Amino acid sequence: MNAIPAAPGAARFEAPDDFDAINRIYRERRWGDGLPIVPPTVERVERMLAQTRRARGDLVARIAPGYGAASVEHIAVNAVLAGCDPEYLPLLIAATEAVADPRFNLQAIQATTNPVAAWIIVNGPAAQRLDINSTFNCLGQGAWANATVGRALRLILQNIGGALPGEMDRATQGQPGKFTFCCAENEAENPWQPLHVERGFAADCSTVTVVGAEGTMNMNTHSKDAEELLRVIAETMMHPPSNEYCHSGEPWLILGPEHAEILSGGGFTKGEVKQRLWQLSKMPAQRMSVKDLLRVKESRTEELGEILPDTLLPIALRPEDIQIIVAGGPGTHSVYVPSFGNTYAVTREVEFQA
Amino acid sequence: MTICSTAFLTLGTAQARALGYPALPIAVMPHPFGNRTRQEVRQIAEQCVDDIVNLVSGAPAL
Repeated sequence: MNAIPAAPGAARFEAPDDFDAINRIYRERRWGDGLPIVPPTVERVERMLAQTRRARGDLVARIAPGYGAASVEHIAVNAVLAGCDPEYLPLLIAATEAVADPRFNLQAIQATTNPVAAWIIVNGPAAQRLDINSTFNCLGQGAWANATVGRALRLILQNIGGALPGEMDRATQGQPGKFTFCCAENEAENPWQPLHVERGFAADCSTVTVVGAEGTMNMNTHSKDAEELLRVIAETMMHPPSNEYCHSGEPWLILGPEHAEILSGGGFTKGEVKQRLWQLSKMPAQRMSVKDLLRVKESRTEELGEILPDTLLPIALRPEDIQIIVAGGPGTHSVYVPSFGNTYAVTREVEFQA
Repeated sequence: MTICSTAFLTLGTAQARALGYPALPIAVMPHPFGNRTRQEVRQIAEQCVDDIVNLVSGAPAL
């Protein structure tokens, strides 16, 4: 008995055996992201499908806002389009399940005017197995897996979810992370528990975590003092035109290994870092614009009581909602990743074939 | 029925189709609201309210 619902199979069509001609078809039909695609021939899709035990017709999720059916085969087609190695397919199946979890709030993320992108964080053995970069330039160019996995998820969101720019994707500007946004955690240089262990998974389990990320704000500081480092990070997080302060959110920090070492060496656990940042990043409500303050009052009065100009707004409902990973190479840089606000990250285990 | 501003009509119609209501009536307001005064927004609402009531109650738009 198969309890998993089946989705309609991927449509097949004949096209000239010509790279440029096929790319013209994808361009005209808006089935791409603006970059050339790898033609998803039957052979390439079959090679991709050979990397999972799941049946091609298994429905993995329905993808908002169009609620298209993401079957294993549909995911495989988009993985081919993006240039993925076949071995990446299980990771994309897990990521597709994760974005469809109601806590992620995909409907809003896909259709909003906000630039929010789906950031994929990989933990556990999958990072090494698939050669996903967690060190130098892990959010930049150069690593095949990072580039194509993030790109494939975007194509899934657009082609299956129907979020075409200017149509159901209403982003005012969007951001470069909507082309691709994927890295692994640098677990080897993380002085604390890695993200997936913190979220209840075994250390030897491979996971993907999806985050509704508004962008990346670099923080270059040569501070060697843990308290001072926390202060300047908190001051970076504090910004008035923020969905997080408006609705409370789940802000993310990518600590460079050097900064993580300073905080750990200063005696801070990850939980204590979160607690301290939550306190230090409280922002006086009067820093918001008048109209935004009205939105804050609508959204957070129940949580905070009467909101006056000198009320201190926390960036998140609870200190533990501040999320931290360690990633990157040597250097005095960390990254603040503001969240979309009305979204929570979701983690799923990656099920490899063997 | 639903209500949206002109900038979101494409999203509204596509979403209605995707959710199985291709004929969903949509009342459309001029976009944007953000730079209008409360008085201007109220005037827009007053202009539209009868149409919206008719759509909600199933009667044809005026």
